[in-house]
Amino acid sequence: MQTTFLLSGAIEKLGASFMAIHEAVTTQQLEINALLNVADMPPSAKQSIRESREKIGVEVNAAVTGLQFQDMTSQLIVRAINRVNGLRESLDALALHGSGMNQEHEHEEIARLLNEMSASLSTRDDALMGGLRKSVAQQDMDSGEIELF
Amino acid sequence: MAKTILAVDDSGSLRQMVAFSLKAAGYDVVSAVDGQDGLNKAKEKTVDLVLTDQNMPIMDGLTLIKNLRELGSYRAVPILMLTTESSDEMKAKGKAAGANGWLVKPFDPKRLIEVVQKVIG
Repeated sequence: MQTTFLLSGAIEKLGASFMAIHEAVTTQQLEINALLNVADMPPSAKQSIRESREKIGVEVNAAVTGLQFQDMTSQLIVRAINRVNGLRESLDALALHGSGMNQEHEHEEIARLLNEMSASLSTRDDALMGGLRKSVAQQDMDSGEIELF
Repeated sequence: MAKTILAVDDSGSLRQMVAFSLKAAGYDVVSAVDGQDGLNKAKEKTVDLVLTDQNMPIMDGLTLIKNLRELGSYRAVPILMLTTESSDEMKAKGKAAGANGWLVKPFDPKRLIEVVQKVIG
């Protein structure tokens, strides 16, 4: 919960800062465009400004791609929490079945209890794996594939 | 008149980045926080494109698409999935539900705009 809370807070701040910086840069670029139209600048300087503008565009795109990390990591955190909860339930089931065992029990009774425990764990494991389907397969932050049907 | 895109995602940061990218390209954006919210907003005003996540609370993306396709006004509106899911199985389900395309997160704004322009101009 704390990790999710901190992650959400961080992305909120990052997002706000990004938007503020972008707004400032856009304003600056408009002013530069106005100057380019009026000022008597050498071609090399104008070319340099155009290249800076293109570089800013590339970096903005990269930032937008990178800022999506929180969405994916949140899903991975939820999956991890579900796994921990599932394991906890399995351990509780183990403890419950184990408490029913007694060293004075006959072998057949112990075998029956062990079979019940195994079946219970198997059912829980199936339920757990069903809920742990991996929805995030990405291993890096390169942009994902696109397919039009 | 600018075309309108409905962007549906339960992640606030994703909604922000999608809206930022699409608005920069001149589109109007309506955002929704889950499939049910998306369906409600889609009924209020018919949009030109729907861009939806899959894994959302209350109503997921596939269910949203199926519900939209049952609305007369959305039979021909392009619907794209924007999701972390990348399996062929999920893509097949998306196509069967009525999706027109599948974009895997994270998205690159330039490529997103290219696809949107290809689909709705």
